[in-house]
Amino acid sequence: MAKVKVASAWLDACAGCHMSFLDLDEALIDLADAIELTATPITDIKEFPPVDVGIIEGAVSNEHDEEVAKKLRANCKILMVWGDCACFGGIVSMRNLFTTEEILQRYYSTESTAKGSNIPSSEDLPPLTTVRPINQVVKVDCYVPGCPPNPKAIHYALAELLEGRIPVLPSEIMRFD
Amino acid sequence: MSEITLTINGKQVKGKEGDTVLEICQANGIDVPTLCHLDGLSDVGACRMCVVEIEKERRPVPSCTYPARDGLVVKTDTEQLERYRRQILELIFTERNHFCMFCEQSGDCELQKLAYRYQMDNVRYPYSFPVLPVDSISDYVVIDHNRCILCGRCIRVCSEIVASHTLDFGNRGWKTLVSADLEQPLGESSCVACGACVQVCPTGAIFNKVSLYKGKTDECRQITTVCPACGVGCELNVMVKDNNLVRIEAPRLAEPRGPLCPMGRFELLRQTPPRVTSPLVRNEQGKLEECILDKATQVVVQKLSEMKGSFASIASTRIPSETLSLFRNFSSKAIGSDRIDTLDGESYRTIAEGIRQFQNGGKGLDIECPIGEILDADCILVVGADPEKTNPIVGTLVRRAVSQKKAKLVVIDPLRDAFPLRTDLWLRPKAGSEGALLNGLASIIIDKGLVKQEKVPAGLVSALSKYKTVEASRSTGIAEESLELAAEMYGRAEHGVIIYGEGLLQRNDASLVTTILNLAKLTGNLVGNRLRVISLKAGANSRGAWELGLARGIKQDKPKGLYLLLADEPVDEELLNRVKGVDFLVVQASYHSPVTSMADVVLPSPIWAEREGKYVAMDGRVVELKRVLQPREGLPQDEEILAGIAQKSGVKLSSD
Repeated sequence: MAKVKVASAWLDACAGCHMSFLDLDEALIDLADAIELTATPITDIKEFPPVDVGIIEGAVSNEHDEEVAKKLRANCKILMVWGDCACFGGIVSMRNLFTTEEILQRYYSTESTAKGSNIPSSEDLPPLTTVRPINQVVKVDCYVPGCPPNPKAIHYALAELLEGRIPVLPSEIMRFD
Repeated sequence: MSEITLTINGKQVKGKEGDTVLEICQANGIDVPTLCHLDGLSDVGACRMCVVEIEKERRPVPSCTYPARDGLVVKTDTEQLERYRRQILELIFTERNHFCMFCEQSGDCELQKLAYRYQMDNVRYPYSFPVLPVDSISDYVVIDHNRCILCGRCIRVCSEIVASHTLDFGNRGWKTLVSADLEQPLGESSCVACGACVQVCPTGAIFNKVSLYKGKTDECRQITTVCPACGVGCELNVMVKDNNLVRIEAPRLAEPRGPLCPMGRFELLRQTPPRVTSPLVRNEQGKLEECILDKATQVVVQKLSEMKGSFASIASTRIPSETLSLFRNFSSKAIGSDRIDTLDGESYRTIAEGIRQFQNGGKGLDIECPIGEILDADCILVVGADPEKTNPIVGTLVRRAVSQKKAKLVVIDPLRDAFPLRTDLWLRPKAGSEGALLNGLASIIIDKGLVKQEKVPAGLVSALSKYKTVEASRSTGIAEESLELAAEMYGRAEHGVIIYGEGLLQRNDASLVTTILNLAKLTGNLVGNRLRVISLKAGANSRGAWELGLARGIKQDKPKGLYLLLADEPVDEELLNRVKGVDFLVVQASYHSPVTSMADVVLPSPIWAEREGKYVAMDGRVVELKRVLQPREGLPQDEEILAGIAQKSGVKLSSD
């Protein structure tokens, strides 16, 4: 049987969800027989080939995130999102409680340890937008919440997909923390 | 009430007229999710999780507020209802800022549990991200409005159960906030810090600072025990994880005697002063030095024999009767002295003497009524007492009677009104004139013909005759009209309760107690053969200690030697004065304090949580203190230390 092709993206988040995926430990060995990782933060390949399953960790916080989310959506058959940031907005969405100016001011002036650091500006830097969960930007097929998701939850979701079902986490496995 | 029959989910179930649909569902084991409902509180239908379909109703209705009728056909679990419930959850999550990952209540949160139950793995609505305040200046409680779902449980428990009514909704519509008084910070409001709101909050909006991140409910062992903080004897549910105190809750919060006070719910969790972890003996340089138990007890034994006859002993009344009984035996055999007292013995002797004078040697402390009587009162006289401070649950019962039974409240106290805003009349007698005031009230009651006692002894009437209104007014400095008003309020009451306490007992005047008892008897305030009179006792086992004969009192001058079984009793100025000037001081204590630094020998002692045994609560109930923590390894129990000293002195102890 051909391997299921998977690509994943790391948007505005801490990488904890991908870490949780790596925490599948020995279960990864069996998974490696069934799936093929293409462009992911783990393989460090940037351009998404057409894949069966796209995975997003993190919320959409700037125009770059939005573009990546749309590209992956366009290149995958099923889009799964991992973690509270991608499912609900999560901790990164606390930024929405402040204006962008306040956030940048705080980050680059108040809290910075480097003296005289300025708010960087360059046309290469994507402007910050309101922080949104993925389903407010592109269509999402399945969700694995958690901060980070428990490796068991990730494993359950992947196993369901491999069985040809769209996973919905059972109440016993679902966690938001 | 007549029985009714409903059809719920196709099954015939029975209930009573007056029940809500939710109550009938719950009584019949039909699971309906709820969030704002809490047994014991009124229902308001705020959250709409309990929606059900009822035949002939055009839309789903909240079952918690829908009165059941005979013949109703109800559905609780249709696909549409389940869809609505999930939708409601999504709306709640988008309304404010819910972040489970760092929330103290995550894992103990009812909102989160429902989200799991409805497999809410995403939210289809845009989030509101309102900017909301966090109120964290109270010593015990934090209100984080970001996590509030406006279910109103805290508000209902605060007014219906605690009768404080500090919390209510402020503002309107989506700007609604739970507000203390008129938007005061909780710590500066009329909040009594009972923590009931913390216990009922279904989310992390109101949480307990003292228990913060110490453990989740399902990681804890739960032990139901009794509160050691005062004589009321409230039940506590203590949660313990890894032999550490995590949280204390009220096992039956919604019952009249259910609420706790800050001492019971929060202060018991604090173990801030360093523990006495080893015996200490004052060395030649005058410094306290750690040593082995054997050496410390040897020093005590030697001093006891050197100073024979000039030693006395004092015990804390936080200690269970079994240990106290042994201590009394220790005192008479090993110390060889009948000079024994408790920390609050003086008050007890005054109470007991007052009762003895009243009854001419009658049946003792059982003359007082249980504190539950306060709930049915239509007039309450608080005489020289500050229940909100010394026995806060008595304060709660008074507030309930005032707010729910419209009881009249008269406070007699020269210094302070213990119930500001609730008191109908505050009489401030000149210092030392409480007797004239109480006798004056009795005299006015007789004059106005409000006496309900069948035969008033002629002696009493003539004794009272010198306290006519004018005279009473002159000696107390209180206006005649006020005295008459107070006499009318209490005299005309069907169910008048008198509460007296420390302020009055400080006078060490037993005749004041007798006067209070006479006043109650005159006005026929009897339940069975008990008078509707309550004296406030500070210690959890004050009454037990009294009954065991520990509060005999240390007569004559200050003793030269003192054995103080202090345990974890808080140290106050009065205690320091009592131990000052003692030549040789032995302190058996759980914590280091100014008293232990004055001691010549310090011995360790368990804290309340490491003890077990019986207390006699102030109304005579025998209650059981359970051991919730394993005692620290290597630390001897009180019994071992006492028996060790006795053995070295050549006597054997018994606790009878």
